[in-house]
Order: sequence, then C-alpha cells, then structure tokens
Amino acid sequence: MSSTLVMESIIKRNNVKVIGNGDQVILFAHGFGCDQNAWKFVINAFTDDYKVVLFDYTGSGRSDILQYNAVKYSKLDGYTQDILDICEALELKDIVFVGHSVSSIIGILAAIQHPKYFSKLVLIGPSPRYLNAENYTGGFEQQDLEGLFEFMESNYLGWSSAMAPVIIGNSDRPELGEFLTSSFCSTNPDVARDFARVTFMSDNRADLSKLTVSSLTLQCSDDILAPLTVGEYVHLHTPGNKFVQLAATGHCPHISEPEETISAIRSYIQQN
Amino acid sequence: MEGQAIIDLEELYQQAPCGYFSLSPSGNIIKINQTLLGWLGYELNELHGKKFSGLLSKGGQMHFEMFFWPMAAVNRGVRELSYEVLKKDGVILPVLLNASAKLDEANRLLAINVVLTDITERKTFEKELLLSKKTSEREQKRLQFMADLVPEIIWTATPDGYVDYVNARFCQYFDCNGQDTRVSFIMSKVHPDDRRALSRDWRESLISGESFEKRIRLIDKAGIYEWHLLKAALFLDEEGNLTNWFGSCANINEHVQDMKKKDEFINIASHELKTPITSLKALLQLLDRMKGDLTNKMAPGLIEKSNRNVNRISELVTDLLSASQFNDGQLRLNKTEVNLAELIGDYVHHIRIDQKYEIITEGEGVTVIADEGRIEQVLSNLITNAIKYAPESNVIRIRLTRTLEFALVEIIDEGPGITPEKLPHLFDRYYQVSNTGSLYSGLGLGLYICAEIIKKHRGEIGAKSVLGEGSTFWFTLPFNPSIARRQS
Repeated sequence: MSSTLVMESIIKRNNVKVIGNGDQVILFAHGFGCDQNAWKFVINAFTDDYKVVLFDYTGSGRSDILQYNAVKYSKLDGYTQDILDICEALELKDIVFVGHSVSSIIGILAAIQHPKYFSKLVLIGPSPRYLNAENYTGGFEQQDLEGLFEFMESNYLGWSSAMAPVIIGNSDRPELGEFLTSSFCSTNPDVARDFARVTFMSDNRADLSKLTVSSLTLQCSDDILAPLTVGEYVHLHTPGNKFVQLAATGHCPHISEPEETISAIRSYIQQN
Repeated sequence: MEGQAIIDLEELYQQAPCGYFSLSPSGNIIKINQTLLGWLGYELNELHGKKFSGLLSKGGQMHFEMFFWPMAAVNRGVRELSYEVLKKDGVILPVLLNASAKLDEANRLLAINVVLTDITERKTFEKELLLSKKTSEREQKRLQFMADLVPEIIWTATPDGYVDYVNARFCQYFDCNGQDTRVSFIMSKVHPDDRRALSRDWRESLISGESFEKRIRLIDKAGIYEWHLLKAALFLDEEGNLTNWFGSCANINEHVQDMKKKDEFINIASHELKTPITSLKALLQLLDRMKGDLTNKMAPGLIEKSNRNVNRISELVTDLLSASQFNDGQLRLNKTEVNLAELIGDYVHHIRIDQKYEIITEGEGVTVIADEGRIEQVLSNLITNAIKYAPESNVIRIRLTRTLEFALVEIIDEGPGITPEKLPHLFDRYYQVSNTGSLYSGLGLGLYICAEIIKKHRGEIGAKSVLGEGSTFWFTLPFNPSIARRQS
C-alpha cells in the first residue's frame, strides 16, 4: 500500500491531474515532444462519464525536472516506471490506458509488467521500431533520425532560443528558462534530446506478443511517423489487438481530428 | 479612403515580401501566395491540397509532425521555427516559420496560417557570426596560453578594482586556484610593511585612472618574500570607455638583492679607501710641518708610510677598475708563453722576504699560453687570501700539476676552513666570507676578479675545504684553450 507521502511525491513529480466524474479511469499518456496539454481537445468529451488522469513524464512539461535521471530515462523502462508509479500512487485498477505515439509502447511495457492495473489499452500511432530492419519497414533509416536529432539540436524551440545562446554564448539567461516552462512542448532541450534518442532507437517488436491485456490500434492515414504497414505489424503481432484506421491524417489525430478520435476511443471502451 | 484605393488586400497577400500559406487541420495546403510559389518554383496546382511537410527533409517532417503541429494547435501559434524547405529544383531555401491557429467557437482547429521569411542571407550571417565567435575564442585561447607561459604574474581587474582574471603563474606562485582573487586574499600575500602603501596608491590610481607602479614583497607558497614590480594600466576601448585594468607582477627579487649588495659594496669600498687616505692626509700634514726639511730624521719613515698607503689606494683602485672592466666585458688578455713554475717561484720569492710563513712549492715546470700579469694577479690574490684568512696556518703549499689537457694550480692552507654553505658563493661579486669585516679588510672583489680572469682563459676555478683542517683554492689553465672547459 502506498503511503500518502509517496503518493504526493509522485503526483508532484509527474504533475498528475485527476478530473471527471466516473468510476472507470482513463489514463492519457502524451507522446514524445509534448505534455498533457496535447489532450486538451479530447478530454472534455470524457470527463462527464469517466475519471480522467493526466500527467507529464518526468522531464517533460511541468514535471519536476530535478527528478529527471539521465540514466534511468535512457531506456523506455524508466518511463514505464512513471506509469506504474502513478497507478500505484493513485491505487488504480483496471484502467483504460490511452497512449499516443511512443506512449503506446510504454503502455504495452507497463501492462506486461503489471497487467492488473489495466483493462484496455488504446494505442494511437504505435510503432515498435522506427528504424528499418531486415524484413521490417519502420519507415526510417539511421540518417533520417540523425537528421532529426541535428534538427532538434539547432532548432529545438525556434531560432531565437536555439541560435541566440550559441552565438551569444551560454550565459545565464533566466528569461530563456521562463520561456521553456511557460510553453507547451517545451521540455528541457537535453531531456528532449535523450527522449528522442530512446524513442527512436528502441526496438520493442519482441514485446508485442507478451501483452495479455486487450488493445486497440488507432491508425492514422498518411502518418509519416507510424505508416500503415507499421500499424498492421502491431495489429498482427499483438494478441487481442483491434485495428481501426482513422480518416485523420498526420501523427496527431487527437489534435487535428479530435471528434473522430474521441468516438473511436469511446466506442472501443464501451465494447465488452 | 485614399489608401484603400492604392492598397488592394488580395494583391498585398499575393505579392507580400514574405511567403503565406494556410493548412487544413490535416496539414494540407489550402491557400498559398504567389511570393512563396515564386520562391519555391511551383505552380499553384502543384501544391494546392498537398502536405506542406512534403517539402521538408525527413528529419524536418518528423519535427514538423511532433513539434510544429501540436505546438501550433495547442499553443495557437508557433514563433520562429527555422526550417529548410526544398524548392522544386532541389535547392534548399532556409526559412523562418511563424504560424497562428484559427479555431472555431468550440475551440476546434479550423486552419493554421503560416508566414515564411526567407533567411538565406541571415543564415550566411549566422555562419559568419559563428565563425568569428570561434575565431575570437581561438584568439582568447592563444592569449590565455601566452599569459600562462610568461614568467610574470598577469592579472586583470574591473575598473573599480576587483581582480577578475589571473594567469597560471599567479596560481603557481601562491599555490591557489584561479578563483582566489579576492582583495583580502591577495593582500594577505603582500608583506605587512608594504600593504598600507599599496592600498593607498592603488586606491589613488583607481580614482585617477593613472598607470600604477610599485615595488612590493609577495610571499610565495614556500613562505618566502620576494620583491616584485607591480604594474597596472587602465585599458580603454575604441570609444574611450573604461574596460579593465591590466596588470603584471614581475619578480625583481634578484635585481633588488643585487642593488642592495652593490650599495653595501659601495659602502665598504668607501671605507676601505677612506682608511689609507686618512693616514696619508695625516702623514702629509706631518711632512708639511717639516717645511721641506727632508733631512729630518722622521722624514724617510713618513715617506715610506705614505708610499705604503698610496700603494694600498692604488691596489684598491686597480681592483675596482678590474671589476668594472669584467663587468663591461672589456678584459683583454695579453697572452704569451708563461712558465708557471717560474712565475710562482718569482712571486713566492717576493713575498717570502717579508713574511713569516713557510711557502712550499711542489710540482714540475709547466708552460701555458696566458696573460702573465693577470695570472700573477690570480696567484697574488689566492696567496694573499691564504695568508689573510688562515693566519694560524704556518705552511702554505702551492702545488703545480700537469695533466694531458691542463695545468692545475692548488693553493693549500691549514687554516680554519670555510663552511660548506659559503663555498658556492666565494667567487660571487661583492661577496665577503665573513661579515665581521673588522678582522679582515678588503673589497671582497679578489676572488671574483680571479674567477673572471680564469674564465677568460677558459680555465676553471674552485675551492674545497674541510672545517678545522684547511682550504684548497685551485684553478686550471688549458694547454689548448679552444677545446677547453670539459675537465672535472
């Protein structure tokens, strides 16, 4: 049983928010590069009937950056532990887990470790491996990823925040830090770089078959990060997986087509 | 009203000096202006309805999907993201991207409006800036290297006097790290007698901005005070603004010590000269009273004494002249064949007459090429020293030895000996073995002159001594001076 103290520390560390009126809990887990605000277009549709839990991964959004440990979070296991910690701290059971992008894989890993916390997983744009491999098309070559990392290095939050410190020098500029915490998608650049590496370098194909909790793959049309073939791979290799292809295009259907996304999630939750 | 006639909004949109386009919630281009089409080299129908991210590199697309899109929608806008857009001909167009999201009443995303600015030139400047930044960093490192290499302490201070940089020498000298630059720390390293004047003068310079120069004693890590010349000047930039004090601290301890020795020497020399002059003055007064009557029975004695004093003065002046000649490098040798045994024999014969010492000469006849007068000066000095400093020694031995390469002359006394710590300094200028100067008079120049003469002959000179048993002063003269100076 978790003590109040542990619970409070987890809630603070991951900026956990609990809203809504139902008994059934839906835990929304944001993807790489964002924070819980990414769900702002969809959560209102659920708060009347469900208890909605939102959080930021350690190092992201308004989490406690001081608790970020580069070693722990150099593997997806570190982020998986964040999910399990939250479930334990809030004494959650049989929840619906909705994960976007890398979070869908993190959700699978958490559900393999502690199936009792979960009743259903919704995987939005999942990819167990981004790099192409033998007999597998992830969609990316190593050089594409290097391109992204380089891009993030020089352009993480825009020209002035990326170039100015480089040109002026790494002087103490508190106003930059303020900008970071006040802006969405504004994880500390070092954390973002680490998160990008762990996200895009991971290979979790072998984990899919270990999942015992039932799941839904929400596949976008025309998603460069998680192409249709990858979604189909997940569906094929994950026991108990349903597959729905959305009309929504791009990688963020919960942002670009919230209504379609909401109805897909809702109808899956309501199925028996 | 007139303005409306001139400014056509549609034309402004199409021909604006920046690229405009709008994206549907799914990321497709729904409107794009002529400027942007012109930049990219596409026709309207080639891009309309297409994904904008298709114009980016793969890394750019990923960034666009994971950062731009959520940020634009959730934050309702994006500022100054730098992307590289691919033109139709494959050339890269660097752009800055600003965007704002258009939402309906229910906060649903309707469209994202984007402004692109061509930053090709700016990118070039950025590169130049980075390059010049690197250059200046390199320059700074070079200066740092130089500053750490010089043997002086180098430092800078803010216009109000706080030391903000010190070189490696500072850290070595005081055995501290570069952060120990507080005024209190530095002051603790200054000799207590110098602190007050230093603080006062430094404050005055800070107020006046005048260059600063002061001699102070600084304590090193071994706890020894050494004299330093502290200099500082205020550096003004091109606009004449105060920037920094630049300062150095040169170790002038040796110089200061030399000056001190010189002062002491002048003091000694004056006294040495004064004694015979005073005697001479008295003798002349006595002679003067005789009114030219040289038949007075006292006259010969007085004249003889006067002569001795004049000789003494002459000797002293000769020594002084020799010393200053060596100092200026003016010593000229008048070399001839010299039979050392004969030279020693003659000299010894000359002093044997009026001395109670037994002087024993040993060894065979050796002929060298040397300046006879100067070698005699050396012999005279060494033998006189033996007599003077070893008064109880009844025997003084002069031994002449011949080796393959050089002749060795040793002057051996049976006096009290010389303490080991004094041995290495015997041949220094202005050095006197004993400070109890009343017992032994002289300028202390003798051994220095000997050393200079022997060096000039490319020989070596030295001394060894055992306390209570006696001392040996020796020198060598090479037979072939051009290959000399490598003997033991």
